[in-house]
Amino acid sequence: MTDKPFEGWRLSRRAFLEAAATAGVAMAAVPLHLNAADAPVALHKYQPEFLNVDEWAFVMAATARLIPSEGEGPGARETRVPVFIDRQLAGKYGAATDWYMQGPYDPSASPDRGYQTPLTPAQLYRQGIKAVNVWCEKRHGKTFADLDAPIQDETLTSLQNGRLVLVPELSWFFSVLLANTREGYFADPKYGGNHGMQAWVYIGFPGARASFKEWAMQYNKPYPLGPVSIAGKRA
Amino acid sequence: MKSFLRILGGVIVVILIAIALIIWAPAQRTSAKALDLPTSDITAARGAYVARAANCEDCHTGPGRKAYSGGLTVASPFGTIYSTNITPDKQYGIGDYSLDDFRAALYDGVRKNGTRLYPAMPYENYRLLSEADVESLYRYYMDEVKPVHDQPPQTHLAFPFNQRLGVRVWDWLALKNPRFKPPTDNPQINRGAYLVQALGHCAACHSPRNWLMASNGIRDEDAKYLTGGKVDGRAVPPLRGKDSVTTRWSQTQIAQYLATGRNAYTGAAGDMTSVVGNSLQHLSYDDIMAMSAYLKYLDAGTTEASAHSNDVPTKTQAMLTAANPSTPLGARLYLDNCDGCHFANGLGAPGVFPTLDGNPTVTAASATSLIETILYGAAMPSTQLRPERFRMPGFAWRLDDHDVATLATFLRQGWNNHASAVTAGQVAALRHKEAKPPLKSDERNAGRADQARAGR
Amino acid sequence: MARKAPKKDAVIVGLGWTGSILGMELASAGLDVLALERGEDRETVPNFQYPNEMDELKYAVRYELMQKPANSTLTIRRTLDEVALPYRKLGSFLPGIGVGGAGVHWNGRTWRPQPEELRLHSYVTEKFGQKTIPDGMFLQDYPVTYAELEPYFDRFERMAAISGKAGNINGKIIDGGDPFEGPRSRDYAMPPLPSTYDASLFAKAAKAMGCHPFPQPASIASQSYVNEYGMQLGPCSFCGFCERYGCYNYSKGSPQTCILDALKRKPNFAYKVKVEVLRVDLAADKKTATGVTYFDHTTGEEVFQPADIVLLCAFQLHNVHLMLLSGIGKPYDPATGEGVTGRSYAYQTEGGLTMFMPDHTFNPFVGTGATDVVITDYTTNRIDLGREGFIGGSSISAGTTNGQPIHSLPLPSDTPTWGKGWKKAIKQWYGHSMSIGSQGSCMAYRDCYLDLDPTYKDHFGRPLMRMTFNWQDNDLRMTQFMRKKIEAIAASMKPAVMQSSFKDKGAMYDVRPYQTTHTVGGAIMGADPKSSALNRYLQSHDVHNVFVMGAGAFPQNIQFNPTGLLGGLAYWSAHAIRTDYLRNPRDLS
Repeated sequence: MTDKPFEGWRLSRRAFLEAAATAGVAMAAVPLHLNAADAPVALHKYQPEFLNVDEWAFVMAATARLIPSEGEGPGARETRVPVFIDRQLAGKYGAATDWYMQGPYDPSASPDRGYQTPLTPAQLYRQGIKAVNVWCEKRHGKTFADLDAPIQDETLTSLQNGRLVLVPELSWFFSVLLANTREGYFADPKYGGNHGMQAWVYIGFPGARASFKEWAMQYNKPYPLGPVSIAGKRA
Repeated sequence: MKSFLRILGGVIVVILIAIALIIWAPAQRTSAKALDLPTSDITAARGAYVARAANCEDCHTGPGRKAYSGGLTVASPFGTIYSTNITPDKQYGIGDYSLDDFRAALYDGVRKNGTRLYPAMPYENYRLLSEADVESLYRYYMDEVKPVHDQPPQTHLAFPFNQRLGVRVWDWLALKNPRFKPPTDNPQINRGAYLVQALGHCAACHSPRNWLMASNGIRDEDAKYLTGGKVDGRAVPPLRGKDSVTTRWSQTQIAQYLATGRNAYTGAAGDMTSVVGNSLQHLSYDDIMAMSAYLKYLDAGTTEASAHSNDVPTKTQAMLTAANPSTPLGARLYLDNCDGCHFANGLGAPGVFPTLDGNPTVTAASATSLIETILYGAAMPSTQLRPERFRMPGFAWRLDDHDVATLATFLRQGWNNHASAVTAGQVAALRHKEAKPPLKSDERNAGRADQARAGR
Repeated sequence: MARKAPKKDAVIVGLGWTGSILGMELASAGLDVLALERGEDRETVPNFQYPNEMDELKYAVRYELMQKPANSTLTIRRTLDEVALPYRKLGSFLPGIGVGGAGVHWNGRTWRPQPEELRLHSYVTEKFGQKTIPDGMFLQDYPVTYAELEPYFDRFERMAAISGKAGNINGKIIDGGDPFEGPRSRDYAMPPLPSTYDASLFAKAAKAMGCHPFPQPASIASQSYVNEYGMQLGPCSFCGFCERYGCYNYSKGSPQTCILDALKRKPNFAYKVKVEVLRVDLAADKKTATGVTYFDHTTGEEVFQPADIVLLCAFQLHNVHLMLLSGIGKPYDPATGEGVTGRSYAYQTEGGLTMFMPDHTFNPFVGTGATDVVITDYTTNRIDLGREGFIGGSSISAGTTNGQPIHSLPLPSDTPTWGKGWKKAIKQWYGHSMSIGSQGSCMAYRDCYLDLDPTYKDHFGRPLMRMTFNWQDNDLRMTQFMRKKIEAIAASMKPAVMQSSFKDKGAMYDVRPYQTTHTVGGAIMGADPKSSALNRYLQSHDVHNVFVMGAGAFPQNIQFNPTGLLGGLAYWSAHAIRTDYLRNPRDLS
């Protein structure tokens, strides 16, 4: 089921996780502020916990089209949405730990019957990305990540409206990808996305401040103060 | 030369006699006072109430140990002292104590075998107990308390403090007249005075100590009585004189605080959480009102106007409400951490969230309590009248030393407060201290819930 | 072989709102009470503490405080000829779990039913004729009247710290409250919460159209408050993280803020967490229960807990499931129309309209769970049901509860769902939209019911419960009626864009989007044991020492949030147990 990781990936992932564990213990006593010393690793150097090289490339490319960098406001790249998705897939959400995953299954049931595929989100991505890449190779001679942006957009549109036909077990793939992308854009930065709270700054959401008793009766006046994250960082 | 040697010889003899006396003279025991209650009223049930008022259980029950079996650690400047087993166990407790032995421990700090108790046991204050209370306590401990056949850890202080003979000298210098003197003609105030001075032993924490570490105010004729103290390096607020809440709060507010650990202005925190939780909440309405009447009496005629006035919004409130991006860091930290409960006017909510504007814990000369509250939070005790255990979470994980200092300074100087700034160094000193031991009342009250949870 | 625990006077299944109320009432009467909760223990600090609670992904999107379908779920089908499929991930409704239950994560909206709703069958037949009732609809009177329940509504409201403005005090209509409500004996204990900007605009528009707007009554304190148990709440901070979250500042009514610290002080009350009741055990003649059997997740053992009285206080769906698994009451069969357990499952009928208003700035993150302004001008007792051709009604309201961007960011329907256009739109419209919604009744029907699924099982090997439910013409006509009313009010507010979402004829129940957690029925109360599972005291007709709390008792759903009614019924039932049942245990009907 898993694709072969690139050489050295497993070793460095384990080392990364071990290093993260000890760093976590040491750092627990001293709360962090965002500064140059602990800026996150650049996306092209990020070591995914779940996605393999091809999957990472797909997620980087797809999310960059779902929330593009062009125009006002941050895109999925700037907010590190792919990191969010990778970490979600590596955890409880990816494994569908909270969901009822006992058979029998009826993946062809109409969508309003709810999630009826036997695949967990992690499996959806794994198999869905493969299927989309197969389709792209057949149609354009390249995987999704190597296509030009307009063709990527066309592919995503086809995936969304069903012209890109997938087996019924994968029918949820696009909606899960889109939902996870938005989650990664807007969730608290502690989950790896919404880097620097840029998405919150963009729309004017104050984050975890959650205290506005004196603003209930201030009518038609935009609230001016920027957001705070759960960790206490300010923007 | 000859007269010098004679004088020297005389001095040496005196010193030798003194040492001999210190070592061998039998321990003096304060005699019983006149019993002012019919013997039929001296019951174990009455003794149980007296024990609650004196809060014996709090010190004489270590974490996880059975009631009154000792083992609580008391950090003193001289080392760790462990409380003793005072159950009626014959081997490890006081099961073989006569009434006279029992009284001597309370009045003189002397064990049955003559050794001295360290004044961590507040016999300086219990000396004032009436004979009726002593005898009732004796009945309670002998007849109702369950014997616990278990020796708690023993106290071993470093030399020279392990020489209990030194305590004898200390006692001789420090202990005062054991007679309680009712201060007025008013029976309610007198009862309150007795509760505060003797059973409540409030002066043990709320009075300063002199060079001998003796209490510098056991009763109200002492000038420094209840003018504030220091425990565990933490400033203990005054209950008398300027800066004390008792001058600002009404008698009702004082009574509410004592009985429920909360009133319109604030909530009990730190050691008062367990004092209210384990002792004061169990006192009768009359006794609570008597104590609060006495505390008001101490400052009769000196009531200050309350610092609260939310008729005119302060500049601080306006700045916090405006929530501009240019908000300075201290106010910004307030909005991001505190505003959700304490609100822009800094007044919190009566009985629920303590006020910060005009709160002596916030503006005390020592900022220690304030810093620790920001770092580690606070918890009100669960009491019969007000059972809810309100808790403030700690922010040590979220704020660094500089943030805490900036925030604490903002609190001390915002609204109507005028107090000194706080430095990051002060915060760092408190942060790297050992984590505070669990609040005693949290354990006691949690025990109830744990019992409930365990479905016993 | 289950270990046998020492007997208790009363065992309570589930420590949420009704479990806490019954625990307090029975422990205060001197009974030895044990409550069994299958979820975790929960306290404000640390479980809902600031700022960690302010986590939209964890609580609002991944549903941290809710029941996990992996542990407990059901199957759902719309019609008798569909095969029911599992509700595999949460969507349409969000059952709670843990100490406090759904009382932790609810939005605080608290209502009384209209008096007519409690006698709806009589009201409809008297006023509009028997022919108004369509074939296949089960319409019943509650076996208890509004007047009988009034003191218990009042008791629940005072305990649960309701802020609001009364509209009818002993028959006198008060300006600023709900003029169409049933008479109250006195006003609410606390003044209403202030209205946000969008709610105030709606109030103005509704008033201009002749309606009677008033603030939503809410179990959210508007000031410091003390209830009858000495429990306290502080004023709400309008934090915008209310529904789906525990309250960080002790201002939302919940078992934690209103009952539990007081209840835990009682030496004759005990509770266990992470213990899951597998069944109610019945005596050989099935006329009484001997206790319950539960699985202890911590120790891994099965335990039989004997008790004189068994109180099912879990969420409505779980109560009915337990009754089906335990054989309490004959299971309902739509083919024959016989049986009572599982009969008359109903939901709640909702619709809404979103308005986009670039000239107005709303701060959507400033809100409580219940900041609405409401009109009841189109509720059941205001409508000529005969003329309009449906039975039921709705409240209509507007008010922001939150502006959390992952799940609360409305956009015009022609906005692209991703890409440049989407990114532009979220900035353009965030803070410039508001909604007007209707929440209304849902009747009970022959083919909407609960039973045991033939195929799917839980991890104990017990059959899942099966829900058969679909929207019916009656309620769809009602919601379209509300659509017209709302569109008229909305149009008067001149939004740039207005879009409606109201189910129409033929709509199929879609389990994916969140709608409401007001699932009701399945263990309905009634005078006739042939058509109801419980009598007027929520006592099982069949097993007289089993009492079943919650909205399962509603013969059809009321127009409003259910908590006020089920809270009043819990106190009403507790009163009957304390003053009547205990001294002479028997069928009380």
